[in-house]
Amino acid sequence: MKRRQWVPMAVGLLVAVGLALGPTEAQQAPVFKVGVVTSLSGEMNFGGNVTKRGYDLWADTVNAAGGIAIGGNRYKVQLVYGDDQSSPATAALAAERLITQEKVDFILGPYASGTTLAVAPITEKYKVPHITGSAESPLIWKQKFKYTFGTIPAVNQIAPASIKTLAKDVKPAPKTVAVIGIDDAFSKFAAQAFKDSAEQAGLKVVKFEIVPEGADYTPTITAVKAANPDILAIGSHEKAAMEMIKAAKELGFAPKAIVQHYGMTTPDFLKGLGKDAEFIFGSSVWTAALKHKGNDPFGTPAKYAEVFQKKYGTPPDYTEAASTAAGLAFEAALKQIGATPPLDQKEKDALVAALEKLNIKTFYGPIKFATEGDFYHDNVGLSSIALQIQGGKIVEVGPGALKVISPKYPMPAWTKR
Amino acid sequence: MELFLQTLLDGVLIGGTLVVIAAGFSLCFGVMDVIDFAVGEWVMLGAYTAFWFQEFTGGDPMAALPLFFALFFAGGYLLQPLIQRVTAGKRPHPVLMGLLFTFGLATVAKGSALYFWGFNFRSIRTWLSGQNVQIGITVPSLRFAGFLFGVFATLTFMAFLYWTRTGRAIRATAQDRVTAGLLGVDVRRISALVYAVYAGLTGMAGVLIGALFSIHAGMGLRYTTLAFFVVVLAGMGFVPGVIPAALFMGLLQSLTAVYLGSRYVGLALFGVFYLTLVVAPKGLFGRGS
Repeated sequence: MKRRQWVPMAVGLLVAVGLALGPTEAQQAPVFKVGVVTSLSGEMNFGGNVTKRGYDLWADTVNAAGGIAIGGNRYKVQLVYGDDQSSPATAALAAERLITQEKVDFILGPYASGTTLAVAPITEKYKVPHITGSAESPLIWKQKFKYTFGTIPAVNQIAPASIKTLAKDVKPAPKTVAVIGIDDAFSKFAAQAFKDSAEQAGLKVVKFEIVPEGADYTPTITAVKAANPDILAIGSHEKAAMEMIKAAKELGFAPKAIVQHYGMTTPDFLKGLGKDAEFIFGSSVWTAALKHKGNDPFGTPAKYAEVFQKKYGTPPDYTEAASTAAGLAFEAALKQIGATPPLDQKEKDALVAALEKLNIKTFYGPIKFATEGDFYHDNVGLSSIALQIQGGKIVEVGPGALKVISPKYPMPAWTKR
Repeated sequence: MELFLQTLLDGVLIGGTLVVIAAGFSLCFGVMDVIDFAVGEWVMLGAYTAFWFQEFTGGDPMAALPLFFALFFAGGYLLQPLIQRVTAGKRPHPVLMGLLFTFGLATVAKGSALYFWGFNFRSIRTWLSGQNVQIGITVPSLRFAGFLFGVFATLTFMAFLYWTRTGRAIRATAQDRVTAGLLGVDVRRISALVYAVYAGLTGMAGVLIGALFSIHAGMGLRYTTLAFFVVVLAGMGFVPGVIPAALFMGLLQSLTAVYLGSRYVGLALFGVFYLTLVVAPKGLFGRGS
């Protein structure tokens, strides 16, 4: 075959493939097009997929019931994904593409705070409602974005629970703490929250360091070991925490307690660290053991956990629950305003107004967004629980009356287990 | 004092994890004139292969290191002719072509890993995991084993380069491809052999790195960057310079992290990298090409 024949043939083939893969179904009843920006590749792809599971479970549940019931009809939802590749710049591009080209009605937000902070100005610019089910940085709410909401409380609301429990509920009480935080929009604030709550509780912070992601953490842990704190608190996502705990074990450094946020509630953390995950503290705003009752299809945390386990083969953690709850919040607000797809600008603004007034009870707990203050548009209905891994399970250990099982303290040396 | 000694040891051991990767990378450049952008992906694939090995057999991947070497050796041997094709012949800018092609390989490897192994962070356990020996300072067993392995593998490899006939052919090819070819060296076979050894060594290093850290599709980039740093410091293509250069990089990381703060590690590394390029483009020993 001659070389010049290749080009038209290749083009023809591509077009044919494109046609075969493209939409061939006739347009049925209108659906809500929901844009999802999250990390499906890159450093944060684990967390990105965690949020994806939460959002997918909401969409699948809605669609299995025939769709969202509005004015006698049912409208299905269609999730359109935009991969942010774990980078804020790509997140902004993905949001822009979903809004201008895919013409989505509203947006479910990214996993990480850095990417969320890049998406929020875009949804602001195009006036598209946006709820994040995962991002925890308090920075997001301080900027008072009109179109951005969050079902998960800010990290400085969640993370202190474990420190409070350690400061008040264990004997002999710890006196010193070292805090390591990873340098990103979420982890830095997690570390700051550990530091602030420790100081409030009268603990002495002997070391506070922000370190870059992706480093070899042995020198950092060596420096912490030299400071000899009672508590090591790690503000990071799951991967960095796992690597730091591995490094601590290699260096034979066993403080009386290790506190971590966020990651110890994910199944991968338990699986990756195995027995070394034992005794590690963390905090959460939702566990399957809580007694919430809601009007949504899941109703209770236990039921949600059961459905989730059946679909994905692992138990859910609070990020997945909060992501599903973000969908529920949109669904409730849409029903209230009775808007049908596609939403025009007036309806999108009405949706934001409805979200501001929203006060619903779900399997995830109450959802009520603040309309003023430092947590503007963040869910303020939930309280934080201290957790610990005991016997390969995550149990509620405080603070105070939220305790189900007593915390185990101090943590034994690595060699005495 | 204890902190200082521990910091030095940490640094040496960090360097140790890089030695093998950088040695292979350096030789690959010397012989094939290819800057292999996929070096980190060989590490990643090595780690995932070890994960699978442990998942399916329950065995200790450390015990099966020779098996991984053989596997990656074969993989490299089969892949090399493809790289050869892209970088040889009448194509313009062969170095750039090699860079682009291996960048593509890296992207494909990353995407495939995400597809086949999923997004979860994986871990492997070896009998040395989490162990340590106290001698006043703490010697982490697995890292120490990795260090010994790295230095041993690199020295063996260099012995092969300098004391055998094939080794001499490899060095001749690295010096001058055309002349080596004219004198009867089968340049293609030598190139394939070098790439195979390089892939084998890097895959093995991946097993150790997988046991030390966590395994995920994006883990390779860090090693591509670090291998690049080490090789520039050692002098491009100058294999004997790799061991001191890797140890220097490790010590730099460790000392900066402990005495200045971890946030300055990147600055220190890039600073040295930059200075080397400006002041001593042939590397610390002036022997690079």
